[in-house]
Amino acid sequence: MNRWLPFAGVGLLAALAGLSLWLAGNSATSPALAPGPIEASPAAIQAARFTDPAGQGHTLAQFAGKVVVVNFWATWCPPCREEMPAFVRLQGRWGGRGVQFVGLAQDDAGKVKAFARELGVNYPLWLGGAEVMDLSRRLGNRRGMLPHTVLLDAQGRVLESRIGIYAESDLESKLAAVTGK
Amino acid sequence: MHARSLVPVAVLLAALLAAAAPAARAVPPGILASPTDEPLEPDRAFRPDARLVAGEPGAAGGTERHGIDIEYTIAPGYYLYRSRLRFEVVPPTLLVGKPELPPGIEVDDPFIGKSFIYRDRVTIHLPFAVGVVRPGRYTVRITAQGCAEDRICYSPFPQAVTVNVPPGYRVTDSPSAPPPGPRR
Repeated sequence: MNRWLPFAGVGLLAALAGLSLWLAGNSATSPALAPGPIEASPAAIQAARFTDPAGQGHTLAQFAGKVVVVNFWATWCPPCREEMPAFVRLQGRWGGRGVQFVGLAQDDAGKVKAFARELGVNYPLWLGGAEVMDLSRRLGNRRGMLPHTVLLDAQGRVLESRIGIYAESDLESKLAAVTGK
Repeated sequence: MHARSLVPVAVLLAALLAAAAPAARAVPPGILASPTDEPLEPDRAFRPDARLVAGEPGAAGGTERHGIDIEYTIAPGYYLYRSRLRFEVVPPTLLVGKPELPPGIEVDDPFIGKSFIYRDRVTIHLPFAVGVVRPGRYTVRITAQGCAEDRICYSPFPQAVTVNVPPGYRVTDSPSAPPPGPRR
């Protein structure tokens, strides 16, 4: 019987290796939250035009030189609203260290204004039409899910594209790593 | 076989597992820790199906119903916003009246106020205008919007279902009565 042990060992080895590779492959492909390719160039990101709730025009180019956290959200999206108080706290803690949060929504200006006032949002909340979600898709959000948060470095290059709620501690660690502060 | 002869096998096994483990962790940013945490693709979370309705009795024995029923199967933990549903029939030679949307479930959002959502299953009726309906294959283009409870929301997304109208199909009565009252 002992002479079969090496074969059994090799068989077990092959099965476990196969399982490991399957797990690795399975977790790295196809999940709905996995961001797709980044199709928007830094120039295109900075050129996109939005308006604030008062109707004044803006582009992300005004934050060139800063690490920018772009948050795609909507007032009708409860998980988006859930994570925003954390963004307010992080803007307060990191604003002086070269970090700027910006919220982008395809939404009603009155609702956005009311929400900003109620929550005490300390960063710009800008609005746009279909181009808001179009930019989100070109930044890796293939399915148009919200919330979607994108980190841009000081040159406007995409450092991260994350779909779903971004935990405050995770984002804070990321900001520390990106800014080196 | 002596147990010591299995040591190289065990070492090789450990090395292979160690090599595979980083690959399992090396997932793109934005992916949650477990595949079971992944929200569904919109078409799996919200499955529409179309059915031709030909002269079935309306609610409470009202007038006969003619048109298309869009039957949604909604995954547990997901919901659709009633007010955000849009329907368009192509080719537009098929005349369809105003969609009959069941009231749905009333929810009181602390910020956006009262709204109505659909969970589990819902049937929306698209009534045909009275008269002869040209036979053929029609597509109902849908725009829907919804959320996975407490996790993510889906910005307006397109869906499509098809229905075949057979030759000789005729609308013999006015569209159906309104759907029953709201659920809470």
